Parts: sequence; structure tokens; C-alpha cells
Amino acid sequence: MLFFIEVALSGLMAGVMYSLVALGFVLIFKASGIFNFAQGVMALFAALTLVGLMEKFGMPIWLAIIGTIAVMVALAWAIERFMLRPLVNQEPIILFMATIGLAYVLEGMGDILWGSDVKLLDIGIPQGASDWMLDSFNIYIEKLEIFAAGTAAVMVTFLAIFFQKTRIGRALRAVADDHQAALSVGISLHTIWVIVWSVAGIVALVAGIMWGSKSGVQFSLSLIALKALPVLILGGFTSVPGAIIGGMIIGVGEKVAEVYLGPIVGGAIENWFAYMLALAFLLFRPQGLFGERIIERV
Amino acid sequence: MNERNVGGEMLKVENISLSFGIMKVLDDISFDIKQGEIRSIIGPNGAGKSSMLNVINGFYHPQQGSITFKGETRKQMAPHVAASHGIARTFQNIALFKGMSTLDNIMTGRNLKMKTNLFWQALHIGPARAEELENREAAERIIDFLDIQAIRKKPVGKLPYGLQKRVELGRALAAEPELLLLDEPMAGMNSEEKEDMCRFVLDVNSEFGTTIALIEHDMGVVMDLSDRVLVLDYGKQLADGLPDEVRNNQDVIDAYLGIPHEQA
Amino acid sequence: MIYRETGQFKANYQDDQALFPIAQDRYVVLAVLLVTFAIVPLLLNQYWLNAILLPFLIYALAALGLNILTGYCGQLSLGTGAFMAVGAFSVFKLMTVIPELGFIPLVILSGLITAAVGTLFGLPSLRIKGFYLAVATLAAQFFLIWLFNKVGWFFNYNATGMITSPPMTLFGVIITGPSADPVAKYYLVAGFVAVFALFAKNIARGRIGRNWMAIRDMDIAAELIGVRPLIAKLSAFAVSSFYIGMAGALYFAVWLGSAEPTEAFDINQSFLVLFMIIIGGLGSVLGSFLGAAFMVMMPILLKNIMVDGLGTDAALAAHIEIITVGVLIIGFLIVEPHGLARLWRIAKEKMRLWPFPH
Repeated sequence: MLFFIEVALSGLMAGVMYSLVALGFVLIFKASGIFNFAQGVMALFAALTLVGLMEKFGMPIWLAIIGTIAVMVALAWAIERFMLRPLVNQEPIILFMATIGLAYVLEGMGDILWGSDVKLLDIGIPQGASDWMLDSFNIYIEKLEIFAAGTAAVMVTFLAIFFQKTRIGRALRAVADDHQAALSVGISLHTIWVIVWSVAGIVALVAGIMWGSKSGVQFSLSLIALKALPVLILGGFTSVPGAIIGGMIIGVGEKVAEVYLGPIVGGAIENWFAYMLALAFLLFRPQGLFGERIIERV
Repeated sequence: MNERNVGGEMLKVENISLSFGIMKVLDDISFDIKQGEIRSIIGPNGAGKSSMLNVINGFYHPQQGSITFKGETRKQMAPHVAASHGIARTFQNIALFKGMSTLDNIMTGRNLKMKTNLFWQALHIGPARAEELENREAAERIIDFLDIQAIRKKPVGKLPYGLQKRVELGRALAAEPELLLLDEPMAGMNSEEKEDMCRFVLDVNSEFGTTIALIEHDMGVVMDLSDRVLVLDYGKQLADGLPDEVRNNQDVIDAYLGIPHEQA
Repeated sequence: MIYRETGQFKANYQDDQALFPIAQDRYVVLAVLLVTFAIVPLLLNQYWLNAILLPFLIYALAALGLNILTGYCGQLSLGTGAFMAVGAFSVFKLMTVIPELGFIPLVILSGLITAAVGTLFGLPSLRIKGFYLAVATLAAQFFLIWLFNKVGWFFNYNATGMITSPPMTLFGVIITGPSADPVAKYYLVAGFVAVFALFAKNIARGRIGRNWMAIRDMDIAAELIGVRPLIAKLSAFAVSSFYIGMAGALYFAVWLGSAEPTEAFDINQSFLVLFMIIIGGLGSVLGSFLGAAFMVMMPILLKNIMVDGLGTDAALAAHIEIITVGVLIIGFLIVEPHGLARLWRIAKEKMRLWPFPH
């Protein structure tokens, strides 16, 4: 029983990590209706830049973080200027394909700028098992995971307030609904998009830091993007809390399946379990747990 | 004026109620459509007219009530079943297949008349070819009828609005329907285009004997064309009868028609 | 001036519906076929065959398949790699168990097996649309590759998990395995592709193709006309998977010779074919060929320019290639989202008027 709780908790923590990446997706989708396939690569790129700034330029952590944020904002501006603006009002699938192209570009650039070897990322997040949890409940959880969960909670709260209460947040929601209509009421699409992609970039940085601290900064980070899809399916593409809950469900589901079902079928279930779970969900609730039910009009 | 061969009852709608969540779109609607007649459904925007057509089509499934079409009663039917039983329609916001040409759109309308399987289609000889040619001729007859020969190979997405509406009518006619549902076929047209469309509607009815149910806002058209008129407002049935009766019905005047300026 | 329809009148619908109604088009196609089957084999060498011609033809077949599903019927699929794997593993098992049937029937059979698998994974499309469907196909992609890796029966319990193509003959000539005859391989694959491209074109311009496009453009209206979404979507999945499966079988048996599932058929393969049909043109048979040619040639061209021409370091060149692919994808989507096929059509339109400006 204790073992199960440990597995489940471990899954929850892993799920939070997924959620961090999924958050970036939700942001961009909520504000521009685009499914940003490059979100995972953005996380990788952000982490690479951070490490690069610290190692190659010898910057202290706080300066490197600011520097990376600046880079991500510049990146957001470039993306808006050269990719989003020419593609305004195209169908979603075209935009999706464009983000796949973007992923390739960022991947190549990351490799060229900072090198493709695995890097260690240490910015002072506590490592190792949490002694407190071990002592109090006899459960093994890493301090890093607790830290990540806490960070996620803070970010989600902040983003939720941002979207609901601020003027910019409302503008973002308008843009997600209908580009042309938003333009016609005077919302500057370009500014909005730069803001959104910058915020998504910062979210990607946070995700990159968490993942990088955990397992080093390497290419596989960008594959997390694909895992985020099932998370979004479960949580709904436009829901911030949904991304968190979806991530946790996927995390727990995966871990539990791997531990309990894995040995029966030879292991490595994690490769596909999340997708099958998402698929099963879709068959019963095509719009996800928190997504909006689409009523088709003719 | 309207000397038509109006036969027996073709479609009977009984106590239909339709809701989306808590929003009641149709509330206990009952009416019938007789074979060969031209029936109009009018009412303010949001009254539920298109939804009523969608129910007849089988696209929306009512929570209550039943539909009897050509003697068979059912609570709901799948859209393609409705189509195969002889119901065709056009849409308020043109639902043409924008990636295809006029001819292809109309040929798609012939879909139910074509049966050859994949194997013959791949080879494009024998039965597949013969069937394609036969249906091409049928499609061309409709193209002639609607006078759209010049645009038959054009992608419909590039056509002006009025022509798109005409092509959509052609696609509906291609299925040789018994009941044709037209959802605001004259919306957005100038008076010339409206005259043309009216002429087509009348011709379809007189030449092919097709029964027509028509949603329309232009009162002149409605009063001139229709045999009987149904009035909906906020999902409820306000009036149902001959055009003159409806025109003089006080409820209808209050809700929708209004009165001429001199009397105001 | 050269490319005009003037004077080419059609006296009946049969002529109007011909595959190439304009005479000039017919000549071009005949010329292409002539070059393909009569001239190229004479100039063939091992390098050209293996680096360019075979992958081009095989990927063109796969692109045709994906175009049927995504381009004509509008169902996005990211599972192409896995379906190619199904074709490859099917033909492998068939070759080791019943080679007597002959190579071509075995390839067609593997296509049919893949069609069945594809139809199964296509079932969710009846409830799910758009991106969500892409997730379903991703499930297929990851699950199937895992399956082929794990279950020994698929690779005949071989220690490395790889499958290798045993030598097969066609009309007495060896066409698979290390000692295969290059010209024979070429004719086999080129013949396959030509025939099935014709079939695809015929299907696309007939009732089934129109129904697919109707579902793609306005699935609700299509249903209300009487197009049954179930049949249309599943038939698209089936035919598409059939083509992709055969492409996978040829990919493994004739081109690679041996394959390992995670390398040869992973998600990058799915993206590659998807890029081919986007760049080539969605919903176009010609586009499938153009896209395949483009994506096969580009890395080779880039490598030649950078490594051989400018002396760039190979690793750097590889990174630049990735960036270039990404930039080209974005560029194409901006400039002509309908791909090379549309550009070709525009060029033809201009040729009609040339030398007049309008």
C-alpha cells in the first residue's frame, strides 16, 4: 500500500513537470488559437541558453536568468514578426505545421549556438530526497519535485489572475476566439502575440529549468512536447487548471501503469500509455475534462 | 395565383421540442407540409427556424415529439437517412465544398445515385465510367436549368455570393429530392438576383413537382410564393395558415411584421 | 502560346472527363513516362538508384497515401511511420513464411494488412476531429513501434530485433537482398508507383474522392447530402494505409534491405511524409510526387553545397540542414500554403498567356 502511494506520488510529481510544459501550450492556444508544437523545443532552447550564459559567459545565476528571459522575449518578437504576421487568419492546421517548422529551426539553432552535448544545470534548486517526507511518512520524494510543484502552483495562480482580471488577459481571450473580430475592435494583434509568446517563453524557461535540473539539459527535452498533447487532451486545450490536472492524471497513470502493468508486457509502457489514455478519454469526452463543448451550427 | 397540384400530407411535425442545455430552441411545434406545396417558415432572427429545418434533416435530435415523413413516423433519423429518403436542403451560411468546382459540388449531390465500388473506381472503366457519365449528364441538366454553364469548372470558393447560392441550390436539386428545404435562399441578394431565385423556386416546384419548405425574410417573396405560412417566435408557434391570414394576424404583426408607416 | 486549349473542343462528356483533357498535358506525361521507363534505366548507377531514385519513388507512394487521408479527406495523421512499419513487418513475415506467392502479391497483401490496421486506428475519427485525431494517430505511432520492438514474433526472435529481407526473385531476376539487380529494382518500384498513382487519380476524381473532399470541406453538409461519414472516413483510412503499407514494404524489402523499427519508422518519418504533402500540395497527386522529390533531394543538395562545396564540417551541416528544413516549411506555408502543385498550376496559367502579360 505504501509502495502504491509512493508510486502515485512520484507520478503526481512527474505529472506536474508535464503540466509545466503544457501550461505554455495552453497560453498560446488560449491567446492565438495555435497549437505550438515548438513549445518543448522552446523549453530546451531556454534551458540551453541559460546554461550557455552561465558557462560560456560566466554570468551569475540571476543575471543569466534575466539574460535568458531577454532572449526569449526577443525570440517571441521574431516569431511574431516573421512567422505569425504573414500567416494571420490561415487555418489552424497551417499554423500548426508552421510551428513544427519552428521546432526544427530552434532545434538546429540550439545545437549550433550552444552545442548538442548533454549539459548539467545547477541553479541551486535543492537536490536529493526530502528527508522530512522520509522521516515523517516513510515516503521517498525528491526535494526537486516538491519545488517544481510549488513553482507550478505559483505560476498557475498568477496566470489565472492574469487572464481573468486584467485588460490584457481579456484581450488575449478575444484574440483566441477570432483574430479578425479582435482586430476590428482595435486590439493590436501583434503586441498581444509578442506578449503571449514571451510569457510562454518564460513558462518554457521554468519548465526547462525544472526538467534540466532533474535529468540534464538534452535533446529528449523537446520530445516532452509530444507528451504534452495527451495532457492537453485530458485537460482541455484552453484551461490552465486543466493543464495541471491533466498533467497529474497522465503522470500518475503512466507511473502506475509502468510499475504494475509493465512487467507483464515487457516494460517501456511509458512510450505509449499516455496516448492510449488520451485516446480513451477522447472517445467519451471529445473536448477533454475541462474543454468547452463544441456545438456545431449549420 | 398559386394554382398548384397540392396533394396529401407529406411531412408531419408533431409536438417537437428541442433544447440545448437550458436553452429551449423549439417549444411544442406542430405543423404539416403537403405534397407539392410551397411552405414558408418566417419569424424574427433566433426564432428557431433553421433549427426546425435541422430537426427535419435529422441533424438536431429533438427531446420530444415526432416526425412523420411519407407515412413513416420516427422520433429522429440520421442525416444520411433523411437524405436517402428524399430530403435535400440549402443552408443559411452557404455550405458548399469550397475546395471543389461547381460541377464537382453538383456531382457530389448525386452521391446517393452512385454505387460502384472502390475497385471499379480505381480502374475507371466499365461500370464506374458509365455511372460517372450518366450522372454527369444529370448534373449538366441541372447546370442548364440554373444557367451556370460558364462557371462549371470554377472552384466555388472564388464565385460571388449570389452564384454560390445558386450552385448550392443546384447541389440540392442534384439529389432529385421530394422535399427541398431552403434556408434563406435569397439572403444578401439584390432584387434582380431575388427575381431569378424566385423563378427557380417556382420552376422547381412546377417542373419537378418538388415540395418546398422555405425560410425567408423578404415578405413580398413569402406572400407571393407560398401556399401556406408558418410563423415562429422564440421557439414558439405564433400562427399557421394562408399568407393573407398570417399577414393580418395580430400576434404576428406585433412580433414581427409591424405596420406600414402611414398607420403608425 | 504553347500551352493553350484553343481549338481543343470536346464533343462529349467522356472526352471532357479524360485524365488529361488538354493535349499538351498528355504529351508532357507521355514524355515523363518515356524518360522514366526507357531512358533513366540506361543512365542508372548504384548511387543514383539508392540515394535518389528509390527513396523518391517509395516516398512518393507513401506521400500519395497520406495525401489521400489528409489532403483529400482532411483527416490529420501523424502515424505514417508506424503504418509503414506495419507494411514492412507484414512483408517480412510473409516472405519468411510463404515466399512462393511471389513478391508482388506479397507486397499487395502487406498493403491489405496495413489497410486493416489503419481502419482500426481510424475508428476514433468518427468521434474525434482535427488535432484530437492527430493524438489518436500518435497513439498508433508509439504503440505500434513499441509492439514491433517488444514482441519477438514480429522479427522472428532474432537477437538484434532487426528484420532483414531474404532474397526474392521476380521473373527470374533477384530484386531483394544484397545481390539484387539495380535495374530490376528500379523497374519494379517505378512500375508499382506509376500504376498506383493512376489508381489514386482515378479514385480521387470519382464518387469516392468527391465524398472524401466533401467530408474535408464541410463534413456536416456532406452528411446532410447523404455522404456517410463512417464509410467515407474509414475508406480514406483504409486506402491511405494500403498505399503507406506498400510503401513501407518496398522501403524495407527493396531499398533498405534491413530495418530496425525505432530508427526506420519513428515519428520523424511521420513528419517527413507530412512535410512532403504540405510542400508538394494537399489533395494533389502531382503534389505528392513534387513534395517527395523536394524532401529527398534537399538534404543531398544541401550536403553537396555545404560539405563538398564550402567545406563545412559535417555536424554543422547537419544542424544547418535541420534549420533549413524548418525555414522552408514556414516559408512555403507563408508563400503558398497549397504547395508546389499550386505553384505549378499558376505557372501553367501563365504559360497559357505567354508571351502576353494578361
